[in-house]
Amino acid sequence: MQASRARLFKEYKEVQREKSADPDIQLVCDDSNIFKWTALIKGPSETPYEGGMFQLSFSIPEQYPLLPPQVRFLTKIFHPNVHFKTGEICLDILKNAWSPAWTLQSVCRAIIALMAHPEPDSPLNCDSGNLLRSGDIRGYQSMARMYTKLAAMPKKG
Amino acid sequence: MANQAEGSPRKRKAIDGEIGMEASVTHTKQAAVAAEEALTGLNPKDGAGAGASSCWEVLPEEFEWSCYRDDDTLHQQAAIREEAIKIPYLGDREPLSALATEFELGSPILKEKIRLLGEQYVGLRRTRGDGNCFYRSFMFAYLEHILETQDTAEVERIVKNVEQCKQTLQSLGYTEFTYEDFFGIFMEQLESVLQGKETSISMEELLSRSRDQLVSDYVVMFFRFVTSAEIRKRADFFEPFIAGLTNTSVDQFCKSSVEPMGEECDHVHIIALSDALGVAIRVVYLDRSSCEKGPLTVNHHDFIPTAAAESSTAAVISTKCGEPFITLLYRPGHYDILYRR
Repeated sequence: MQASRARLFKEYKEVQREKSADPDIQLVCDDSNIFKWTALIKGPSETPYEGGMFQLSFSIPEQYPLLPPQVRFLTKIFHPNVHFKTGEICLDILKNAWSPAWTLQSVCRAIIALMAHPEPDSPLNCDSGNLLRSGDIRGYQSMARMYTKLAAMPKKG
Repeated sequence: MANQAEGSPRKRKAIDGEIGMEASVTHTKQAAVAAEEALTGLNPKDGAGAGASSCWEVLPEEFEWSCYRDDDTLHQQAAIREEAIKIPYLGDREPLSALATEFELGSPILKEKIRLLGEQYVGLRRTRGDGNCFYRSFMFAYLEHILETQDTAEVERIVKNVEQCKQTLQSLGYTEFTYEDFFGIFMEQLESVLQGKETSISMEELLSRSRDQLVSDYVVMFFRFVTSAEIRKRADFFEPFIAGLTNTSVDQFCKSSVEPMGEECDHVHIIALSDALGVAIRVVYLDRSSCEKGPLTVNHHDFIPTAAAESSTAAVISTKCGEPFITLLYRPGHYDILYRR
């Protein structure tokens, strides 16, 4: 508990110091609980998520950084490796490939990379995975773009 | 980046179903069952575990992956962990005869090898089969050696190498706060086994710390960082070995097979750790291999650190009478500590 708190505090200081280093990621720690964080990440360009801002929630276990943070999308997203209802993310570094060498910041970068490079062979969203697997890139992109517009962009007017 | 590499069942582990025991993270239900059997089947008297070798290929082609969710994987992992934690991180020291009793009804080759082991070794200390057994065995064997010998020259020597590893990580671009706590905990243990200080600890305390989840796992993770740093630093040297082992890049290998907790140690890791810290390691192999001609012998391999760690100052090698002071017993998939006569 003490070790994880100390580590998270270091991450907090790093995030404050490097605020402008990565304009695609805004990591914010809960005011009253260092084990709860949220992040706003920018949809990567040249993907159907471009122009969207996606919110992630981080729930950090007491054994962090020996155990990975639990991360999920709060913003609805149509992506093969994200559960459409719960926002759960299928990413190896959040499961058994986790190591303390990762940080909350680098996890955000990995999630952005996953948005740009979906892995349709290990889908959590089968509809999305099946579109890609059957080669219907256009179908996948238009669905993903529609949900980006509906859920991840500011409403006009 | 994503999940497809998750827990590919490693066939290597099934080489010897009778005594293979380490749990692995697996995707397939069958494989998980096999891993559990292998764990519980440590004792061949139960007759369990013997079937493990054939279990890896039985996944039917029409297996419905779409209904197979991460939850299931997590449940299996939890089940495997539950099985593993029945054994402490480090057991008590046992006489070697415990091994003989365990394999009473085992293969004649194993029984003969255990008899031969008895000529050179008197005891063993078991470790938990959670994928960290090599590092944990190494941790305890090394610290116990320092506690017993009070070899301050050796401590001074390793401290230099640890410092070197830190610099390597830094130059490789690792963020300092990601590894410094792990280095700190190891240095604390190292200092406290030296006697005559306020912070000094006894053998009982060393054992209890080595069984403490935080201290033990942090030291294991320290060794993982050291191993990864060495492999990355000498990527040209390790690259062909890694390509032969996993067919991945050095970077991928370090990320997926060295740095995560619970990932098992192969020869590549042992070479890297031994070289990085300049500590020789003997691994004694207890398996069913035998020669057709000549008397049965127990094979061992000495990992002698090479001065390949370039800077001649860092790679001062520690050996006692030319023999490594750390001796580990390898049974397919698992390491324990051996004690010499």
